[in-house]
Amino acid sequence: MRSYVIRFTLEQRIEHASVMTLFLLLALTGLPQKFYEETWAEGIITLLGGIDRVRWVHRAAGIAFTLFTAAHLGIISALVVTGRATMSLVPTRQDFLDAMQQIRYYLGATDVPAKFDKFDYKQKFEYWGLVLGAVIVISTGLVLLYPILATRFLPGEVVPAAKLAHGNEGLMAFLVVIVWHIFNAHFNPDVFPFDTTIFTGTISADRLHHEHELEYERLKETE
Amino acid sequence: MLHSTLLSLLVAVAIQAPVALQPKHEDIETCLACHNNTSMSVTLPSGETRGLFVDRDEFTRSIHGGKLGCTDCHTDITGVPHASKPFSTKREFTIAYYEACKRCHFANYSKTLDSVHYPAIARGDRMAPVCVDCHGAHYVTPPNQPRSRISQTCAACHQGVSATYAKSVHGRALQEEKNADVPTCTDCHRAHDIGGPHAPGWRLKSPELCATCHTQSAMMKKYNLSTSVMQTYLADFHGMTASLQKKNGTEGGQVVALCIDCHGVHDITKTDAPNSGVIQANILKTCQRCHPGATTNFSSAWLSHYEPTFKNAPLVYAVKVSYMILIPFMIGGLVLQILLHLWRVVVNR
Repeated sequence: MRSYVIRFTLEQRIEHASVMTLFLLLALTGLPQKFYEETWAEGIITLLGGIDRVRWVHRAAGIAFTLFTAAHLGIISALVVTGRATMSLVPTRQDFLDAMQQIRYYLGATDVPAKFDKFDYKQKFEYWGLVLGAVIVISTGLVLLYPILATRFLPGEVVPAAKLAHGNEGLMAFLVVIVWHIFNAHFNPDVFPFDTTIFTGTISADRLHHEHELEYERLKETE
Repeated sequence: MLHSTLLSLLVAVAIQAPVALQPKHEDIETCLACHNNTSMSVTLPSGETRGLFVDRDEFTRSIHGGKLGCTDCHTDITGVPHASKPFSTKREFTIAYYEACKRCHFANYSKTLDSVHYPAIARGDRMAPVCVDCHGAHYVTPPNQPRSRISQTCAACHQGVSATYAKSVHGRALQEEKNADVPTCTDCHRAHDIGGPHAPGWRLKSPELCATCHTQSAMMKKYNLSTSVMQTYLADFHGMTASLQKKNGTEGGQVVALCIDCHGVHDITKTDAPNSGVIQANILKTCQRCHPGATTNFSSAWLSHYEPTFKNAPLVYAVKVSYMILIPFMIGGLVLQILLHLWRVVVNR
């Protein structure tokens, strides 16, 4: 077996870089709007040139993020339907068992950590968290961007509800990324200081063996 | 040492300044020897007649009675008889004495330099008001007694706005109930450094004027009004935008509704009055002034200054509560797993 394995295609790497940039931009222009009464929020808004410009950037980035998400979901669906993509990211019963096993391992109840295939339960959780979160922020964001259009079909209460949901979902996404994603991609002792896989597209065979043992075994057999 | 000497010098000057003005009762009688004649007058080149009679009793009752003598203001008169004045109109006479008040009332005089009226005076508009136009000359009495007098003073020139104000919820309470809480002209526009919508920043500052009273719980309780109006406004899209624009000095950006845009300015009514812009029957029209194409559902997006509760906005309330539970649960769970993970790494070593 070669010393490294290709894990992500160029398209996937570009997609990650784009979503990362948009996510940071959206957080930078969105969180100060949620916490506008705080001094730091005011400072960021002033620094970026005022609330009107902050909103413009947030909306532009939001529309770009919407297009990325729509393209992603559209392409994935098409690939799955035509059988050109595997269902490797779909959560299964095994993921639940893996999570249980892993937590027992962390607690010291067992000395055998769970063995993972291409995507472990943490990665699946993060992926679906992002997809679900994206659906929520996009739909509520559209209500906030086009409230007149939205209230032609929906009751007015949807608008303030969308405002609350949008801000809170955005905050939660930001916190998950700060806490969970940054830990997994940077501070996890396995990858510290920087898991470069999503940028280079490659993972070393050693790491694959250690972190995705089932996939490693499978690849070895098919060689 | 030098500092304390300078300081005591300054204090001495400050203490001495008012002493320069001592009442000069004898002055009054000297002048009144001629000026107590009710028919005393002069015809000016403009054809106008200027009465020269001064009512002793009324002057004595005035706020300056017993405090000021004639020459404290008429400083140019040094002897009797005195020369006639070279004024061609009555107004010219008034303008010439414009600065007489500043000798004592310097603070208020300086404030008038920031007034909306001052640029008019400065460019030579003879109709622009000077001190005596609002306060009177010989018979000055407290301008706010009774309080309803204030709006009548302004009404001398601003008839239209005054008539509108008189019909508003504030104006009616002032005139009919002698209410001491409601704002009159000077509470919003100020008395000497008078400002108005032409002043830079005035528009975005206007919610603060409303908040002066409408956030005071003791006062609002009397009228069964909520004090959360400001907080709920600021928490919403309009209020947040307006307050940020004001702080950033980015006025001129996206125009958003302020208190006055929905509730009116001089024509503010009770919110349940039939002609109120915010009563359910009229609110859609009010929204449509900025949001053409808005439908009934759109106006109900605004929760009418109410905090969302399970009763008045169940969906909003449900979203609020859900995230209050979900966010700590989610982040707490993830942090816990990270800590366990790290703990296991340490144990393995």
